[in-house]
Amino acid sequence: MPRFFLHIDDGTQRIEDEEGSDLPDLAAARNEALHAARQLWAAAIRDGRDLGTGGFLIAGGDGGVLDRLPMDDALPRAMVERLRRA
Amino acid sequence: MDYHNRILRVLTPADRDVLHPYLTWSELARGSVLVTPNAKIDRLWFIESGLSSIIAMAGNDQGIEVGLAGRDGLVGLPLLLDADRTPHRIFMQVEGAGYSIMADDLRRILDVHPGVRKLLLRYVQAYSTQTTYTALSNAVHTVEERLARWLLMSHDRQDGDEIFLTHDFLALMLGVRRPSVTIALHSLEGLGFIKSTRGLVKVRERTELEDFAGAGYGVPEEEYERLIGPLR
Repeated sequence: MPRFFLHIDDGTQRIEDEEGSDLPDLAAARNEALHAARQLWAAAIRDGRDLGTGGFLIAGGDGGVLDRLPMDDALPRAMVERLRRA
Repeated sequence: MDYHNRILRVLTPADRDVLHPYLTWSELARGSVLVTPNAKIDRLWFIESGLSSIIAMAGNDQGIEVGLAGRDGLVGLPLLLDADRTPHRIFMQVEGAGYSIMADDLRRILDVHPGVRKLLLRYVQAYSTQTTYTALSNAVHTVEERLARWLLMSHDRQDGDEIFLTHDFLALMLGVRRPSVTIALHSLEGLGFIKSTRGLVKVRERTELEDFAGAGYGVPEEEYERLIGPLR
Protein backbone atom coordinates (compact mmCIF):
# COMPACT_ATOMS: atom_id res chain seq x y z
CA MET A 1 0.00 0.00 0.00
CA PRO A 2 1.28 3.50 -0.76
CA ARG A 3 2.21 5.85 2.05
CA PHE A 4 0.38 9.15 2.57
CA PHE A 5 1.28 12.04 4.83
CA LEU A 6 -1.41 14.26 6.32
CA HIS A 7 0.30 17.57 7.03
CA ILE A 8 -1.76 20.16 8.85
CA ASP A 9 -1.81 23.78 7.76
CA ASP A 10 -3.37 25.67 10.67
CA GLY A 11 -3.55 28.95 8.80
CA THR A 12 -0.30 30.28 10.23
CA GLN A 13 2.07 27.32 10.11
CA ARG A 14 2.47 23.84 8.77
CA ILE A 15 2.57 20.96 11.24
CA GLU A 16 4.41 18.07 9.63
CA ASP A 17 3.13 14.52 9.67
CA GLU A 18 6.47 12.78 10.11
CA GLU A 19 5.17 9.22 10.12
CA GLY A 20 2.48 8.91 7.48
CA SER A 21 -0.03 6.08 7.04
CA ASP A 22 -0.25 3.18 4.62
CA LEU A 23 -3.54 3.56 2.78
CA PRO A 24 -4.96 1.93 -0.38
CA ASP A 25 -5.28 5.11 -2.46
CA LEU A 26 -5.70 8.89 -2.45
CA ALA A 27 -9.46 8.58 -1.89
CA ALA A 28 -8.76 6.65 1.33
CA ALA A 29 -6.21 9.28 2.40
CA ARG A 30 -8.76 12.04 1.74
CA ASN A 31 -11.35 10.11 3.75
CA GLU A 32 -8.87 9.77 6.62
CA ALA A 33 -8.20 13.52 6.51
CA LEU A 34 -11.94 14.22 6.50
CA HIS A 35 -12.55 12.15 9.63
CA ALA A 36 -9.50 13.65 11.32
CA ALA A 37 -10.73 17.17 10.49
CA ARG A 38 -14.14 16.38 12.02
CA GLN A 39 -12.39 15.24 15.18
CA LEU A 40 -10.35 18.46 15.28
CA TRP A 41 -13.52 20.53 14.79
CA ALA A 42 -15.28 18.62 17.59
CA ALA A 43 -12.45 19.46 19.99
CA ALA A 44 -12.24 23.07 18.77
CA ILE A 45 -15.98 23.68 19.14
CA ARG A 46 -15.91 22.26 22.65
CA ASP A 47 -13.17 24.78 23.54
CA GLY A 48 -14.92 27.63 21.69
CA ARG A 49 -12.11 27.84 19.12
CA ASP A 50 -12.18 28.31 15.37
CA LEU A 51 -9.95 26.07 13.27
CA GLY A 52 -9.40 28.98 10.90
CA THR A 53 -8.67 28.89 7.22
CA GLY A 54 -6.27 25.97 7.23
CA GLY A 55 -6.66 22.40 6.16
CA PHE A 56 -4.93 19.13 5.46
CA LEU A 57 -2.23 18.84 2.83
CA ILE A 58 -2.19 15.26 1.61
CA ALA A 59 1.26 14.28 0.39
CA GLY A 60 2.49 11.08 -1.22
CA GLY A 61 5.52 8.98 -0.44
CA ASP A 62 7.83 11.30 -2.42
CA GLY A 63 6.68 14.32 -0.41
CA GLY A 64 4.72 16.00 -3.20
CA VAL A 65 1.33 17.44 -2.23
CA LEU A 66 -1.42 15.48 -4.03
CA ASP A 67 -4.54 17.06 -2.60
CA ARG A 68 -5.80 19.56 -0.09
CA LEU A 69 -8.75 19.33 2.26
CA PRO A 70 -9.86 22.66 3.75
CA MET A 71 -11.01 22.28 7.37
CA ASP A 72 -14.32 23.88 6.36
CA ASP A 73 -15.04 20.92 4.07
CA ALA A 74 -15.38 18.76 7.16
CA LEU A 75 -18.26 20.79 8.57
CA PRO A 76 -21.80 19.51 7.89
CA ARG A 77 -23.09 20.99 4.58
CA ALA A 78 -26.42 22.10 6.08
CA MET A 79 -24.59 24.00 8.80
CA VAL A 80 -22.36 25.83 6.31
CA GLU A 81 -25.45 26.77 4.21
CA ARG A 82 -27.28 28.07 7.28
CA LEU A 83 -24.32 30.20 8.32
CA ARG A 84 -24.03 31.57 4.79
CA ARG A 85 -27.70 32.65 4.79
CA ALA A 86 -27.46 34.22 8.24
CA MET B 1 17.72 -11.35 43.61
CA ASP B 2 17.28 -7.82 42.36
CA TYR B 3 13.82 -7.30 40.93
CA HIS B 4 12.64 -4.21 39.07
CA ASN B 5 8.99 -5.07 39.52
CA ARG B 6 7.70 -2.82 42.30
CA ILE B 7 5.42 -5.51 43.74
CA LEU B 8 8.14 -8.15 43.96
CA ARG B 9 10.30 -5.51 45.62
CA VAL B 10 7.88 -4.79 48.45
CA LEU B 11 7.03 -8.41 49.25
CA THR B 12 8.58 -9.57 52.52
CA PRO B 13 11.76 -11.60 51.96
CA ALA B 14 9.92 -14.74 53.15
CA ASP B 15 7.06 -14.23 50.66
CA ARG B 16 9.51 -13.43 47.90
CA ASP B 17 11.31 -16.72 48.62
CA VAL B 18 7.98 -18.53 48.26
CA LEU B 19 7.44 -17.10 44.76
CA HIS B 20 11.02 -17.16 43.56
CA PRO B 21 11.30 -20.85 42.47
CA TYR B 22 8.16 -20.52 40.33
CA LEU B 23 9.15 -17.38 38.44
CA THR B 24 10.38 -17.68 34.86
CA TRP B 25 12.08 -14.71 33.25
CA SER B 26 11.25 -13.84 29.61
CA GLU B 27 12.05 -11.05 27.24
CA LEU B 28 8.92 -9.41 25.92
CA ALA B 29 9.23 -7.99 22.42
CA ARG B 30 7.14 -5.05 21.28
CA GLY B 31 3.78 -6.41 20.16
CA SER B 32 3.96 -9.62 22.27
CA VAL B 33 0.45 -10.62 23.28
CA LEU B 34 0.26 -11.43 27.00
CA VAL B 35 -3.49 -11.98 27.16
CA THR B 36 -5.75 -12.96 24.25
CA PRO B 37 -9.43 -11.97 24.51
CA ASN B 38 -11.69 -14.74 25.83
CA ALA B 39 -8.91 -17.33 25.91
CA LYS B 40 -7.71 -19.17 29.00
CA ILE B 41 -5.05 -17.15 30.85
CA ASP B 42 -2.28 -19.58 31.72
CA ARG B 43 0.07 -17.36 33.73
CA LEU B 44 0.44 -14.19 35.75
CA TRP B 45 3.13 -11.71 34.73
CA PHE B 46 5.23 -9.52 36.96
CA ILE B 47 6.41 -6.91 34.45
CA GLU B 48 10.07 -5.98 34.97
CA SER B 49 10.45 -3.41 32.21
CA GLY B 50 8.65 -2.09 29.17
CA LEU B 51 4.99 -1.22 29.01
CA SER B 52 1.91 -3.34 28.49
CA SER B 53 -1.43 -1.98 27.34
CA ILE B 54 -4.80 -3.31 28.32
CA ILE B 55 -7.18 -2.79 25.42
CA ALA B 56 -10.99 -2.93 25.44
CA MET B 57 -11.95 -4.23 22.03
CA ALA B 58 -14.67 -2.82 19.78
CA GLY B 59 -14.81 -5.25 16.90
CA ASN B 60 -11.79 -6.87 15.33
CA ASP B 61 -9.39 -4.06 14.76
CA GLN B 62 -10.75 -1.24 16.88
CA GLY B 63 -10.15 -0.67 20.53
CA ILE B 64 -9.01 1.79 23.16
CA GLU B 65 -6.48 1.50 25.91
CA VAL B 66 -8.18 1.20 29.29
CA GLY B 67 -5.14 0.44 31.40
CA LEU B 68 -1.37 0.46 31.54
CA ALA B 69 1.01 -1.84 33.40
CA GLY B 70 4.78 -1.74 33.51
CA ARG B 71 7.23 -2.51 36.28
CA ASP B 72 4.58 -1.21 38.70
CA GLY B 73 2.29 -4.08 38.01
CA LEU B 74 0.93 -7.43 37.01
CA VAL B 75 -0.74 -8.80 33.91
CA GLY B 76 -3.30 -11.57 34.19
CA LEU B 77 -5.36 -10.08 37.03
CA PRO B 78 -8.41 -12.33 36.43
CA LEU B 79 -6.34 -15.17 37.93
CA LEU B 80 -6.34 -13.32 41.26
CA LEU B 81 -10.10 -12.88 41.12
CA ASP B 82 -11.17 -16.48 40.53
CA ALA B 83 -11.58 -15.97 36.77
CA ASP B 84 -9.62 -17.54 33.94
CA ARG B 85 -10.31 -15.22 31.00
CA THR B 86 -11.17 -11.66 30.02
CA PRO B 87 -12.55 -9.86 26.95
CA HIS B 88 -9.52 -7.54 27.05
CA ARG B 89 -6.43 -7.81 24.91
CA ILE B 90 -3.09 -7.15 26.58
CA PHE B 91 0.12 -6.65 24.64
CA MET B 92 3.53 -5.05 25.02
CA GLN B 93 3.64 -1.65 23.42
CA VAL B 94 7.16 -0.92 24.65
CA GLU B 95 9.49 -3.92 24.67
CA GLY B 96 10.75 -5.15 27.98
CA ALA B 97 10.86 -8.24 30.16
CA GLY B 98 8.91 -9.96 32.89
CA TYR B 99 8.66 -12.88 35.26
CA SER B 100 5.73 -15.22 34.92
CA ILE B 101 4.22 -17.82 37.19
CA MET B 102 1.90 -20.55 35.93
CA ALA B 103 -1.74 -20.27 37.00
CA ASP B 104 -1.80 -23.56 38.95
CA ASP B 105 1.32 -22.67 40.94
CA LEU B 106 -0.07 -19.24 41.65
CA ARG B 107 -3.37 -20.65 42.92
CA ARG B 108 -1.62 -22.97 45.38
CA ILE B 109 0.55 -20.14 46.71
CA LEU B 110 -2.37 -17.74 47.10
CA ASP B 111 -4.25 -20.37 49.14
CA VAL B 112 -1.53 -20.74 51.75
CA HIS B 113 0.36 -17.44 51.75
CA PRO B 114 -1.94 -14.58 52.77
CA GLY B 115 0.92 -12.06 52.57
CA VAL B 116 1.33 -12.71 48.84
CA ARG B 117 -2.43 -12.79 48.25
CA LYS B 118 -3.05 -9.50 50.05
CA LEU B 119 -0.34 -7.59 48.24
CA LEU B 120 -1.41 -8.84 44.82
CA LEU B 121 -5.03 -7.97 45.58
CA ARG B 122 -4.01 -4.50 46.70
CA TYR B 123 -2.48 -4.07 43.25
CA VAL B 124 -5.83 -5.05 41.71
CA GLN B 125 -7.37 -2.20 43.71
CA ALA B 126 -4.65 0.25 42.60
CA TYR B 127 -5.06 -0.81 38.97
CA SER B 128 -8.82 -0.49 39.24
CA THR B 129 -8.37 3.09 40.47
CA GLN B 130 -6.13 3.81 37.48
CA THR B 131 -8.82 2.61 35.04
CA THR B 132 -11.51 4.71 36.71
CA TYR B 133 -9.35 7.80 36.21
CA THR B 134 -8.85 6.81 32.59
CA ALA B 135 -12.65 6.82 32.30
CA LEU B 136 -12.78 10.24 33.96
CA SER B 137 -10.07 11.59 31.70
CA ASN B 138 -11.70 10.25 28.53
CA ALA B 139 -14.92 12.00 29.48
CA VAL B 140 -13.76 15.40 30.67
CA HIS B 141 -10.25 16.11 29.40
CA THR B 142 -8.95 17.43 26.09
CA VAL B 143 -6.70 15.30 23.90
CA GLU B 144 -3.75 17.48 25.03
CA GLU B 145 -4.50 16.86 28.72
CA ARG B 146 -4.98 13.15 28.13
CA LEU B 147 -1.74 12.95 26.18
CA ALA B 148 0.05 14.71 29.06
CA ARG B 149 -1.43 12.20 31.51
CA TRP B 150 -0.43 9.30 29.32
CA LEU B 151 3.15 10.55 28.91
CA LEU B 152 3.47 10.95 32.69
CA MET B 153 2.15 7.45 33.34
CA SER B 154 4.59 6.08 30.81
CA HIS B 155 7.44 8.16 32.26
CA ASP B 156 6.69 6.78 35.75
CA ARG B 157 7.21 3.24 34.50
CA GLN B 158 10.62 3.61 32.88
CA ASP B 159 14.10 5.01 33.49
CA GLY B 160 15.16 8.11 31.61
CA ASP B 161 13.17 10.81 29.85
CA GLU B 162 12.86 9.34 26.35
CA ILE B 163 9.62 7.59 25.47
CA PHE B 164 9.75 5.62 22.23
CA LEU B 165 6.32 5.56 20.63
CA THR B 166 4.87 6.20 17.22
CA HIS B 167 1.94 8.55 16.70
CA ASP B 168 -0.03 5.53 15.52
CA PHE B 169 0.42 3.87 18.90
CA LEU B 170 -0.45 7.05 20.77
CA ALA B 171 -3.60 7.33 18.67
CA LEU B 172 -4.65 3.85 19.78
CA MET B 173 -3.81 4.69 23.39
CA LEU B 174 -5.93 7.80 23.34
CA GLY B 175 -8.67 6.53 21.03
CA VAL B 176 -8.23 9.37 18.53
CA ARG B 177 -7.09 9.72 14.94
CA ARG B 178 -3.42 10.25 14.28
CA PRO B 179 -3.59 13.95 13.28
CA SER B 180 -5.14 14.70 16.70
CA VAL B 181 -2.01 13.19 18.27
CA THR B 182 0.25 15.16 15.92
CA ILE B 183 -1.46 18.41 16.94
CA ALA B 184 -1.51 17.56 20.65
CA LEU B 185 2.22 16.74 20.61
CA HIS B 186 2.82 19.99 18.76
CA SER B 187 0.89 21.91 21.45
CA LEU B 188 2.77 20.30 24.36
CA GLU B 189 6.03 20.97 22.55
CA GLY B 190 5.00 24.58 21.98
CA LEU B 191 4.50 24.91 25.74
CA GLY B 192 8.03 23.59 26.25
CA PHE B 193 6.98 20.49 28.24
CA ILE B 194 8.27 17.91 25.75
CA LYS B 195 10.40 17.53 22.66
CA SER B 196 8.77 15.40 20.00
CA THR B 197 10.58 13.84 17.08
CA ARG B 198 9.66 10.91 14.91
CA GLY B 199 8.87 7.91 17.12
CA LEU B 200 10.29 9.60 20.23
CA VAL B 201 8.96 11.92 22.91
CA LYS B 202 11.38 13.44 25.38
CA VAL B 203 9.97 14.73 28.66
CA ARG B 204 11.55 18.11 29.46
CA GLU B 205 9.42 19.74 32.14
CA ARG B 206 7.81 17.03 34.20
CA THR B 207 6.33 19.24 36.91
CA GLU B 208 4.66 21.51 34.37
CA LEU B 209 3.33 18.49 32.51
CA GLU B 210 1.77 17.30 35.79
CA ASP B 211 0.09 20.67 36.34
CA PHE B 212 -1.19 20.63 32.78
CA ALA B 213 -2.61 17.08 33.09
CA GLY B 214 -4.78 18.27 35.99
CA ALA B 215 -7.08 15.84 37.80
CA GLY B 216 -6.30 12.95 35.46
CA TYR B 217 -2.87 12.48 36.95
CA GLY B 218 -1.95 12.12 40.60
CA VAL B 219 -4.78 10.40 42.44
CA PRO B 220 -4.22 6.87 41.05
CA GLU B 221 -0.50 7.31 41.63
CA GLU B 222 -1.06 8.31 45.27
CA GLU B 223 -3.37 5.34 45.70
CA TYR B 224 -0.71 3.05 44.30
CA GLU B 225 1.86 4.38 46.72
CA ARG B 226 -0.54 4.09 49.65
CA LEU B 227 -1.48 0.50 48.78
CA ILE B 228 1.79 -0.89 47.44
CA GLY B 229 4.79 1.41 47.81
CA PRO B 230 7.05 3.56 45.63
CA LEU B 231 5.84 3.76 42.03
CA ARG B 232 8.79 5.41 40.33
